[in-house]
Amino acid sequence: MRRSSIYLGFSLSCLVALGFLCFIYPHLSAEQYDRVLAEQKRVVRDLQLTDLCLFSEARYTRNLSQADWHAPFQDNPMAFDTFPSGSLVRPTVLLADDTP
Amino acid sequence: MKWLDRQRCLMDFTLSCVWRRKGKNLGFLLVYTLIIFVVCSVIFFSNALRRQADAVLHDAPEMIVQKMMAGRQELMPLAHQEDIASIRGVRSVEPRVWGYYFHPATQTNYTLIGRKDFRHGDDAVEVGQGVLRTWGAVQEDKLYFRMVDGKALDLKIAATFSAATDLVSADLIMMSQATFRRLTGMPDQFATDFSVRVRNPQECTTIAEKITGIVPGARPILREEIVRTYSALFNWRSGYMIVILSAAILAFCISAWDKATGLSAEEKAEIGILKGVGWGTSDILGMKFWEGMTVSLAAFFAGVIGAYIHVFFFSAPFFEHALKGWSILYPSFRLRPEVNLFELAVLFFLTVVPYTFITIIPIWRVSVTDPDLVMRQG
Amino acid sequence: MILSPAIIALEAGAVLAAGYAAYASAMAMQIIQGWDIASGSEQQLLLEKKTYLISTIFAWLMAYQIISLFLFSYTAENLHDLFVGAMCAAGSLNVNDYGYPTLVLKAFNCLLCGIWLIVNRTDNSVADYPLIKPKYKLLIGIAVLLLIEAIFQTTYFVQMKADVITSCCGMLFSETEETVAGGLAALPSYPTKVIFYLSVLITLRVGIHHYRTGRAALVYSLSAAWLLILSIAAVISFIAPHFYELPGHHCPFCILQREYHYIGYPLYLALFTGGIAGLGVGVIDRFKGSPSLHAAGPLLQKHLCLLSMIGYMLFAVISVYPMIFSDFRLEGY
Repeated sequence: MRRSSIYLGFSLSCLVALGFLCFIYPHLSAEQYDRVLAEQKRVVRDLQLTDLCLFSEARYTRNLSQADWHAPFQDNPMAFDTFPSGSLVRPTVLLADDTP
Repeated sequence: MKWLDRQRCLMDFTLSCVWRRKGKNLGFLLVYTLIIFVVCSVIFFSNALRRQADAVLHDAPEMIVQKMMAGRQELMPLAHQEDIASIRGVRSVEPRVWGYYFHPATQTNYTLIGRKDFRHGDDAVEVGQGVLRTWGAVQEDKLYFRMVDGKALDLKIAATFSAATDLVSADLIMMSQATFRRLTGMPDQFATDFSVRVRNPQECTTIAEKITGIVPGARPILREEIVRTYSALFNWRSGYMIVILSAAILAFCISAWDKATGLSAEEKAEIGILKGVGWGTSDILGMKFWEGMTVSLAAFFAGVIGAYIHVFFFSAPFFEHALKGWSILYPSFRLRPEVNLFELAVLFFLTVVPYTFITIIPIWRVSVTDPDLVMRQG
Repeated sequence: MILSPAIIALEAGAVLAAGYAAYASAMAMQIIQGWDIASGSEQQLLLEKKTYLISTIFAWLMAYQIISLFLFSYTAENLHDLFVGAMCAAGSLNVNDYGYPTLVLKAFNCLLCGIWLIVNRTDNSVADYPLIKPKYKLLIGIAVLLLIEAIFQTTYFVQMKADVITSCCGMLFSETEETVAGGLAALPSYPTKVIFYLSVLITLRVGIHHYRTGRAALVYSLSAAWLLILSIAAVISFIAPHFYELPGHHCPFCILQREYHYIGYPLYLALFTGGIAGLGVGVIDRFKGSPSLHAAGPLLQKHLCLLSMIGYMLFAVISVYPMIFSDFRLEGY
């Protein structure tokens, strides 16, 4: 067999796999995720939540949009932070707006 | 057709060359794949989270009104509820009673919510799955709290939030408002903040302005702002990761440059012989083009498929630490698999394009070498 | 400045592209000064070798330009939720004065790179490189434009501040606005349709004439250029609204979205193919006087003309599709 045929076969199968993952699999699994999303939305609406529970290490990283303006180290948007996720989280737009 | 045939033959030849130096090329391919895998994971993960936040927060209250005093957040007096409700266009104003609870034994922060219409009575709680996982001493379905006055309070776990909603509810502890006030000492005529529902979302800004006029020190937070904040957050986060990774990409480009310039004597002799038997400069360029193309494509496919599996089937375990920080509690969630061409194009731009551009000049150098020069040296 | 992977990718790409274009134009300068096909000196040999490098660089730049054009508009689309009032790419491009100029420059550079490659191909097809000097003068011009594009794009991203209130595409393309884009939207759909499809027919007729007789190359090229401009106006005036099935939605970027099955990509690619190849016919015609191109020139023109006609035909077919297969009627409103 020609080497190029082997390679082209490999690329084609990768392309098919990628196409399946990107365009077909999301549709196949949509129902399950829709159900989860509906459930999450219900909780958010019911409990009037405003934030995702991603970084629960500190008060101001747990509820990013509801943070105190004067949480430690948060006054200056680029200040060093005690908490690891604080170094990844961008100062909120609200805060950035407020700083002159 | 003739053109296609020619390219196939060039490809055959290139692949044999690549295969002959397996060790070196496979090592390079591995590094290339790894770079694409990491960058792709960052892009997939942050975009999936961004979409998730966008979808979930769509049902958040249109507006939250906090009270500020001397630059600090204060409790909101319930007396203002009427004032805000009387503004035209406001459908409802509801006080939210919530706060944080630090559990010293496990060093974890939890979110407490006090509900007016709590179904399970005053001595019970409803908790998220993360609380069950981390609280530690869950005995006989009971949680022990330390009240504000130092006394102990034990509450029964009456219900749990389903694991499906972990992304929003993992650390929640819900209880009746009376219990919440007893536990935290929040006075009766205050709430943490108000959630405001608005009839026409387009009027949010006007209503927010009116509220700041009526309630002294009010700080309205619009849902649009929250969604925007999350968008900016994930954009920034992934951008930051890419900036950090750019050092790796740069190192990779240097190695690609080095690989293309520092040809071994054997390879140089090969090119010289090819030119000697009648290959032209453009043929050598074509061959080298296919060499770059085959390696790039293989790395791209492998990297992207790997990243997809990493992010969407295994929820990105490699990033968990960065997200988690020092927190004990981390929600378990599976991100909705969704990838668009845009993300793939960005990835392509960040990895394959620099690689291709970097190797143009070395490849040209190789392809224009005179056959006699090479053969005389060899 | 907003830091997102797409912006980093575009910026890195722009720096690379501008850098390589500058490098290529430095070499072009040497070639313009020192080129002497009759000489066999070492200098001349080196210059001949360098032409290969420049051709390779530009082939890649062309590919880069096309992808970066789409990536740029898509990035603008992707960033719209950071700006109050921006509904899609049209809004985020409007957040400062550099958005639209960058986009236009990108499209223009795309055209120029394509034309340069055509000229290069023509030049290389004969032994004595008759077009070498005009070719490299054009190259220097393109390099300057690429540099300006990089500067504009950087300024656009640097000056971008999340949350600036911008006019969304609904407002920007509304009939009453006095901006350029608004003016295009104000083209009434029915007459535009008539003129557009008439122009397509005329262009195709001229193209067939040229293909069969080899004459009227310049006429074809001019009508292809006219059709290129008209097509963009047509997309805003009636083609895009037909895909959206909304009479007021004229945005030319939203058709690139998934909701419309990415139909914008084939649409714009067909348009660019038609435009670049069509302009190429005319550019080659200018150099027909050169004796060595006497045989190769017309043949290449024929191929380009065919390619250009196919591109425009595809464009017209895609644009007609929703008008035939959907119940939506634009004129009813």
